[in-house]
Amino acid sequence: MLEIRDLCFRYSRHVPVLNGVDLTLNDGKIGILLGKNGSGKTTLFRLILGMEKPERGTMLLDGKDLSKCSRRERAKRIAFVPQAVQFGALTVYETVLMGRISRFGFAPGKEDRLVTERVLAEMRLLPLASRNVDALSGGERQKVAIARALAQEPGMLVFDEPTANLDLQNEQLILSEANRVAKERGIGILISLHDLNHALALGDRFFLLKDGTIRYTGGEEVFTEEIIRDVFDANVRIVTLEGKKHIINGGL
Amino acid sequence: MQLFLKKRRAFFFIGMGTDLQKNNRKNAAILAALTAGVIMLFFVSLLCGVSGMTVKESFAALMRRGTAAQQRIIWIIRIPRILAAVIAGAGLSVSGLLMQTNLNNALASPSTLGVSNAAVFGANLSIILGAGGFLSTGNNLSGYLAGINPYATSLIAFLFSTASILLILGLCRMKSFAPGVVILAGVAMGSVWTAATTVLQFYATDVGLSAAVIWTFGDLGRATYRTDLIMAITVAIGIAFAVLMRWRLNALLSGDAAAKSMGLNVNALRFASLLLASLMTAVCVSFLGVIGFVGMICPHVVKRVMGQDHRITVPASALSGSILLLLADTLSRTIGKGAALPVGAITSILGAPFFLAIILFRKERSGDA
Repeated sequence: MLEIRDLCFRYSRHVPVLNGVDLTLNDGKIGILLGKNGSGKTTLFRLILGMEKPERGTMLLDGKDLSKCSRRERAKRIAFVPQAVQFGALTVYETVLMGRISRFGFAPGKEDRLVTERVLAEMRLLPLASRNVDALSGGERQKVAIARALAQEPGMLVFDEPTANLDLQNEQLILSEANRVAKERGIGILISLHDLNHALALGDRFFLLKDGTIRYTGGEEVFTEEIIRDVFDANVRIVTLEGKKHIINGGL
Repeated sequence: MQLFLKKRRAFFFIGMGTDLQKNNRKNAAILAALTAGVIMLFFVSLLCGVSGMTVKESFAALMRRGTAAQQRIIWIIRIPRILAAVIAGAGLSVSGLLMQTNLNNALASPSTLGVSNAAVFGANLSIILGAGGFLSTGNNLSGYLAGINPYATSLIAFLFSTASILLILGLCRMKSFAPGVVILAGVAMGSVWTAATTVLQFYATDVGLSAAVIWTFGDLGRATYRTDLIMAITVAIGIAFAVLMRWRLNALLSGDAAAKSMGLNVNALRFASLLLASLMTAVCVSFLGVIGFVGMICPHVVKRVMGQDHRITVPASALSGSILLLLADTLSRTIGKGAALPVGAITSILGAPFFLAIILFRKERSGDA
């Protein structure tokens, strides 16, 4: 379980980017982080991943204080799937094996290869194992990024806008993979998304970020026209079809 | 579960494993061919020269037989020079690879941090000031050459290039090790050294100026067993570092954020890589003069042909660097008929067409840096 309390951060002397963020995400659940561009989503991820140091506040993962973890220790607990996936011209197998680097240090052992093969099988990437990653499609590359994150055997996953550059089919593929991983592995996943309908379809819990704090949090009920107007400064209409909420752009 | 894994593993090795193994075999074959190339060129280079020695005489001299003059030619003149080509070629090439990976830039070269420019300034200072190149000092070159320390120029060149490296890395440490910052700092520092060299040369006498310019040409003939040993130790440390860090360097190809999320201390890795790459270059340039292009072209071609896995690119870059420099030096001695042409120019003349051919005619492996 991820518990963040009163997290504050600012880049040098500028106005705070995060100003008292509170967030709790249980294992096996998908938390969706929503907010306007520049609202601090990526900064929050950077703090969770240890790329920046918070000014104040605590971050506990399964009771362990993340700010007291070494880099390698943290990498064994939390894995990251970035927005723009870039690998270098390695094979799929080697790219996924690289996820084990926090565990093997200088050279992979038998256990690392075994985990890699298991993850490749789980992600149905075995047929691509010997292919060059750079020769794959966007969706396949994103799957490789997820597989590499899973090879870290983390207790939690963080996805930064994983569908930003994908077509509709690949968007669905990646989101369903995220859902499967959370449920089958029973680990928490924190995802930032822009598409509110994707968020609704995928998320168990929603965190709406504004002015450096989580302004609204909860389940599907947080999606109201007023709240979305407040968070995104945009007009939408919410309709319910077959018992599910759908968000329609009302600004046009 | 165990059974499932065993079955999966069997499938993996029968199915996709064979492709991976084929790939590994191909790379192993290329590495073996490159190693054979270095050994072969070593002997070819040993036999080439203007002394008119036959193959038999050369081998006899190598076995410590033959006349004293022939033994001197092989053991005192040719072997140190050939060893220098092997060592400096490998060092400059691996240095270029480390720069390209760490700065995420295909145009990065061993002297991206301005190392060569600083070495050139140091050498110019030593030659022009010390050897009487300045307008009114009244000294002359022969006096300098007969001086107490034959390594004075190399030493001063090395001191300046090391100072330049430490200054740039120190500045970056204060601000950031982001590739853009490092490259810009390197370019700025390099142009300062070049400008200082120009000013120095402006006040130099004709003799001093020509001596200084000739120094910058790069000449493997300056190598001795002692300089070879110093270069070998530095280059060995640099290559050992790159081999040890091969997986971390691979992780760096995924970008800083991904590498950090995998538990890597990116700044420390970048600092150590840039420091060692620059030191390898500084040592080679200080002893031999500026040898351009090897450090940029060899890792680039290797990546084009063999992919970007540092388990392969580190040894392949080292070996191909040795081959290019050996080939260039052998040609420069053969074409020049006694007066060896500047080896730096030959590496470019030899390398550039090959480089262009690879870029223009080889099927693109997308994403190659």
